[in-house]
Amino acid sequence: MKEKLKVSRRGFLKTAGAATVIGTTGLLGITKPASANVGELATLIDLAKCDGCPDREVPACVSACKKIKEGKIPEVADPIPPPFPSHVKIEDWSKKKGVSNRLTPYNLIYVQKAEVDVDGQKKNVFIPRRCMHCDNPACVTICPFGSNLKHENGIVVNDQNLCFGGAKCKSVCPWQIPQRQSGVGVYLDIAPGLLGNGVMYKCDLCADLIEQGKTPACIEACPRGAMSIGPREEIFAKAEELAKNIGGYIYGKNENGGASTLYVSAVPFDLLDRAVEKGPGKPGLKPVKRAMAKTDNAAKAVLAAPALGIAVGVASAFSFISKRKDENKKEK
Amino acid sequence: MVKHIHEDKNLMLRHEAIELAEHWIVAASGLLLILTGLFQLPFAARFNVIKIPGFAWSANYVTSLYVHYIAAAVFTFAASFHLIHHALLGEKGMLPKKGDMKESIAVIKSFFGKGEEPPMDKYLPEQRIAYVGMAAIMAVLIISGLVKTYKNLFAPDLAAWAILWATWLHNISFILFILAFIAHVGAILLKPNLPMARGIFTGYVRLDYARHRHPIWYARVRNTVEPSRSGETIVNCEENKRPVKSRKHRKKI
Repeated sequence: MKEKLKVSRRGFLKTAGAATVIGTTGLLGITKPASANVGELATLIDLAKCDGCPDREVPACVSACKKIKEGKIPEVADPIPPPFPSHVKIEDWSKKKGVSNRLTPYNLIYVQKAEVDVDGQKKNVFIPRRCMHCDNPACVTICPFGSNLKHENGIVVNDQNLCFGGAKCKSVCPWQIPQRQSGVGVYLDIAPGLLGNGVMYKCDLCADLIEQGKTPACIEACPRGAMSIGPREEIFAKAEELAKNIGGYIYGKNENGGASTLYVSAVPFDLLDRAVEKGPGKPGLKPVKRAMAKTDNAAKAVLAAPALGIAVGVASAFSFISKRKDENKKEK
Repeated sequence: MVKHIHEDKNLMLRHEAIELAEHWIVAASGLLLILTGLFQLPFAARFNVIKIPGFAWSANYVTSLYVHYIAAAVFTFAASFHLIHHALLGEKGMLPKKGDMKESIAVIKSFFGKGEEPPMDKYLPEQRIAYVGMAAIMAVLIISGLVKTYKNLFAPDLAAWAILWATWLHNISFILFILAFIAHVGAILLKPNLPMARGIFTGYVRLDYARHRHPIWYARVRNTVEPSRSGETIVNCEENKRPVKSRKHRKKI
């Protein structure tokens, strides 16, 4: 016991010492991360720079993402319990981990190709697609288990330990980004046939790397520097400037009420939307309004209800009391 | 003044209009909250609720959240109103009293033919205990729901611990609310309690029922609210828990 205490005390001192060193150097700016983990972050994807990595089988951002996320999804149950009722489908990507031309639980970013006609000239535009990390994400609003969370720095994450894989987040996402892997997650320990169907997976912008002051794997890997991350205000200003310089367009600033991922393109996004292949795991680029905005007034009414109830309750009680007094006087 | 005892019609006023309104507003909005709460789980499409005529909207999470919010606003308003209105009027009839637990056990035993029911006040002892239980569940539901609503509207990046606490308290109290609702309806359907069901629909219960089962309440109303309406005077003896008719009345009989 004494020995244990000794070790743990030593361990504590080591940790405390390391924390002090990191803290001090942090304050001095020595270990200031490239991604500047201060305040809200945003990312910029410059479509003029992205060429889809023609020299590689899989674009660099996609393979970097695959590599860093390898092993993050636990071993899938074999067999995967069949969900009830039978019309509920199992989604198993564990045997198709190599798929890289769409979003899957094992492929959280992919590069879309858009062949467009600009001023009579054919042009290829490559668009890396992943979670947009919305400002007020519907997936966070709607998750009944609190597994979707938005961090203070703007990153939207899904905690795979809390997710039941009901795919509500996918239903309310304008781009249907989250992808389900059945046969994993907490639902297996509760009522696998009846409740839940796996875990939803999406890009978390390498939140753990950002915590350590590092840059997300896809951004780090991009050979053309098409993607960048930084403080939100700086990135937004940079996007505006870039769009202004090329006479281009921004996607993500107002989409779904605003997002912290901005695309800048010289080609209008409605043209790109028409040109990209869309379908399951392959989102479009249409302008989208925030669907949850329809519920905002009702939500405000909920927040006002307690004060309103108390006010009317007080008024009504005093009216009763005064009525009672009048009746007593009359009776006397 | 509202007449409480109607000898001619064999009726006694149990709930005034405002109480009926509170009860039914909470019940209706509560039911809608249960329903839309279930629809907030991936439930409606999976279990074919959407195929029920008129329920096509149930799998649309934005629509069901909208309806949930509307019901929550009404529910929260009614609960806050109820709390403050009756607190200011000093109405404590539904709050548990000393010995309620013991008496509740006696009442439940009597349902199975063991022993006799103690004489009761306006509310049964188990009703008073259940009231506090339901109020606690509703308080947790409302407070956690308010935190979630605030997060959805203004602070999507609210601290994770706050979101998780609010979410799971809301989920647990949601299950407790459903169980309490079933218990509430189940209790009223028990044969000895059935005469009370009329009260929550019309406001009135049978006078003979009130005299027999709620003698403490009957005596109090007769002696304090409407002493002049009858020659009868009831001695409300809390100690021996038996309404004793006065000598004057006995003479009359």
